[in-house]
Amino acid sequence: MASNLNHRVRRYSLKGLHFFGLFTAMMVLCVPGLWIVLNSFRPTVEIMAKPPVWIPNELNLDHYRAMFSGIGEGGVPVLTYFANSLVISVTSTVIALLIGMAGGYAFARYKFNFKGGMFVGLMVTRAVPGVALSLPLFILFARVGIIDTHFGLILAYVALNVPFTIWLIDGFFRQVPPELAEAAEIDGCTRWQAFWRVEFPVARAGIASAGIFAFLTSWNEYALASQLTRSTTSKTMPVGLLDFTSEFTLNWGGMCALAVLMIIPALILTFLVQKHLIAGLTFGGVKG
Amino acid sequence: MAQVHLRDVVKKYGPLEVVHSINLDIADGEFVVLVGPSGCGKSTTLRMVAGLEGISGGEVHIGNRVVNDLPPRERNISMVFQNYALYPHMTVRENLGFSLKIAKQSQADIDKAVDVAAEILSLTPLLDRKPGALSGGQRQRVAMGRAIVRHPEVFLFDEPLSNLDAKLRTQMRVEIKKLHQKLKSTIIYVTHDQVEAMTLADRIVIMRDGHIEQVGTPLDVFENPVNTFVGTFIGSPPMNLLDGVVKGFELEFAGGTRLPVPPGYATQDGQAVTFGVRADNIMPVGHALPRGEHMAEVEMAVDLTEPLGTETLLFATLAGTEVQAKMLNPRPVQSGERMTFQIMLDKCHLFDAETGATLRT
Amino acid sequence: MNRLKLPPWLVLLLPAIIILSAVVLIPLVLSLYSSFTSYRLTRPDSIFNWVGFFNYEKALTDVKFWAAFGRTVLLLTVALNLEMLLGLGLALMVSKVTQGQRLLRTMMMFPMMFSPILVGFQFKFIFNDNVGLVNNALQSLGLTDRAIPWLVDGHLAMFSIIFAEIWTATSVFGILILAGLYAIPRDPLEAAKVDGCTAWQSFRYVTLPFLMPFIYIAMAIRSLDVARAYDIVQIMTNGGPARRTELLWTLIGRTGYVDARMGYANAMGYISIFLAIFFTIYFFKKLTQSRKELGMGA
Repeated sequence: MASNLNHRVRRYSLKGLHFFGLFTAMMVLCVPGLWIVLNSFRPTVEIMAKPPVWIPNELNLDHYRAMFSGIGEGGVPVLTYFANSLVISVTSTVIALLIGMAGGYAFARYKFNFKGGMFVGLMVTRAVPGVALSLPLFILFARVGIIDTHFGLILAYVALNVPFTIWLIDGFFRQVPPELAEAAEIDGCTRWQAFWRVEFPVARAGIASAGIFAFLTSWNEYALASQLTRSTTSKTMPVGLLDFTSEFTLNWGGMCALAVLMIIPALILTFLVQKHLIAGLTFGGVKG
Repeated sequence: MAQVHLRDVVKKYGPLEVVHSINLDIADGEFVVLVGPSGCGKSTTLRMVAGLEGISGGEVHIGNRVVNDLPPRERNISMVFQNYALYPHMTVRENLGFSLKIAKQSQADIDKAVDVAAEILSLTPLLDRKPGALSGGQRQRVAMGRAIVRHPEVFLFDEPLSNLDAKLRTQMRVEIKKLHQKLKSTIIYVTHDQVEAMTLADRIVIMRDGHIEQVGTPLDVFENPVNTFVGTFIGSPPMNLLDGVVKGFELEFAGGTRLPVPPGYATQDGQAVTFGVRADNIMPVGHALPRGEHMAEVEMAVDLTEPLGTETLLFATLAGTEVQAKMLNPRPVQSGERMTFQIMLDKCHLFDAETGATLRT
Repeated sequence: MNRLKLPPWLVLLLPAIIILSAVVLIPLVLSLYSSFTSYRLTRPDSIFNWVGFFNYEKALTDVKFWAAFGRTVLLLTVALNLEMLLGLGLALMVSKVTQGQRLLRTMMMFPMMFSPILVGFQFKFIFNDNVGLVNNALQSLGLTDRAIPWLVDGHLAMFSIIFAEIWTATSVFGILILAGLYAIPRDPLEAAKVDGCTAWQSFRYVTLPFLMPFIYIAMAIRSLDVARAYDIVQIMTNGGPARRTELLWTLIGRTGYVDARMGYANAMGYISIFLAIFFTIYFFKKLTQSRKELGMGA
């Protein structure tokens, strides 16, 4: 029958179109990043070649070697930056999670006045643009004397992450039926035990993904870090990227190598939590 | 209105075949119920008719058209879903009129059709509410109303009553039946509840594991089940089954209990058989069973009773197997009391012990 | 034991309140105060020089400020809308795939892992007129033989910035809308098919209303995150050429740190904060409203 045939033909052509569209979209999303990775393995001459060299003649680890031995142009202390980033991101994430768990639990389990207003208030603190915050924060931190310290940046990042972790964790605790904790209390747990032994394990996966989200935010943050850090004692990797620039030149190869170093942990973590992340954002959003 | 024909219809998910070459002819205006345990392929079959599942093999005809590759919107059907599938962001009125709006009918026509449907299902006072503000039974009625405004050729119902409580279910069952009498439309109805199937259907299609086991009128499938599966699936309580061996004109069960071979069955000496008898046909002496020529008597000890008011179910043990019997004029029965039961042999069934198929000649 | 007994929810929220006050609220109060002074970083005692609304008046009559303000609103509007549409398309395509969805989802999130500053450098590199990927590709394909000045020409620079911004943030929309697509109950979609909807009509009347809350969440999250654009713009053009891509944040940053006029910078900062809060609250309102439409009360 003609109309049956018609529909079949349309289905196949739609399939083709779908594949093509998806392929193009993925190319656009991935190529810029992959290009960075590729360039980190190419000698600077080749990156800068004119006319361009499309098929690499030579791949080597020179940029990485230069980066780690600190003998590159300007001698960027990459390992120190990496360590700073790691210490600051991990510490601030752990603290933000603890505070977020307490706050999220309060929102999920207790009823109190102005709850909605309080929630929006928390969220609005996140709306303050980093650069608008960095100016007064700079003055304040300079007064207190915690400019250019790990502590200062950790403090700032905890504050940056707390609203979002509260939002996510609130959503996850809401998914845990209150009867679970009640059952545990009847079984002889204190409220505190009921939380740690029953509710926390059930919501654990979601909390972990909130943590990774917070980690990535701290790991990648630049606007605050660029103002609150001054020297190698506290500079993080995003700030360190600027070390590869000088007044007139850019060391693209070296920068690409550092970029790869920054992306790899993020890539692994994102892959691990992508599923929970979707779920978390959904609960937080839709179940209000 | 239209007929529906399924010709060797197959459904596969990858290598897994879930519906095996089904054939079924449904007449114009007929109310057909597909019934079976969960996972038997009844819903899949219905969804293939609807066009919501692709058809892996065979043909589906609606009216005189092959509809295999047609999308649902070109099949002129409507469907009532188990979870009602109401559009939560639309009012009842918008829900009812949605399909007509899509078909680009004039607003006046839409209003008229919606009002008629609302009248039939007494939804008129609810028209401006959203589904979230309705009770289960009301939602169910909206879902049905949405199906009838379109005047489709075929109505499809996918377990429409399973989310309602028992009382409401009985009530809606009556309404669906009335609706069918009023609209005289072809209906295919899927359920796992054999009571719904018996009460609603012109014809019942009993399915298991992707096969059709039996097709027939409710009385036909009740009285003449083609195998043990149909026998136990249709009717409540389920048919009692006892394994035995044919010894001449008698059946011998475990422990040496003997009963005559029921009339109308072809047996061979020494054949292993399954004997089936419904609780309605096994009663204590003196409880309303007529004294006929095909009667047998057994003595059993009652283990447990379930008084239902008009009758009492008795659980007893016969030849090592638990059987259920009925007592039509209930009196208190002590657990462990021994009673003499009559079995109406001409209402009993014999099946092949291995295949489960009926041995009726 | 005679200590003050606080309700448990307050005890639980206290750490969050304390840290947010210390790191966000106090600086904001400080900057609010300093925006009424002529504070300059180079002269610390100028913080006590009260000038009233002078800084605000100056900002509101400053052409450069309004140009940056307009450009920021334009960037937000264009970028958010395009990101939403592209993210929607992306999510729809990914959701239709039967095999390898996990891989596709991860690829889709690839840009989210990039630090905004890295995105800035990356696109500065890609749009470089001399050795950038885009010009190299265009020249090798023979589409042009001259070096297109992506980051030097005013309009092209704005385009490049918007492109970079969209590249980073489309996945945020994509992921959230994908989550929304997963959460849509199957039944109403099937009912729509049976009711006679074409694919487009099912999308328009059923899928889209269900997705609206998710779209607004994404919008709200993104408008919370707009400050990211500071990093990208600062690296790619730093507001140049000749202030053609100057946004509020680069203007504030330059005024505060380079020109050291903190008071003035903070005044402008306040105006930009209100802009951000306005967008956020607007989308939260929309979110609540669309949720109510779907009968999903809080």
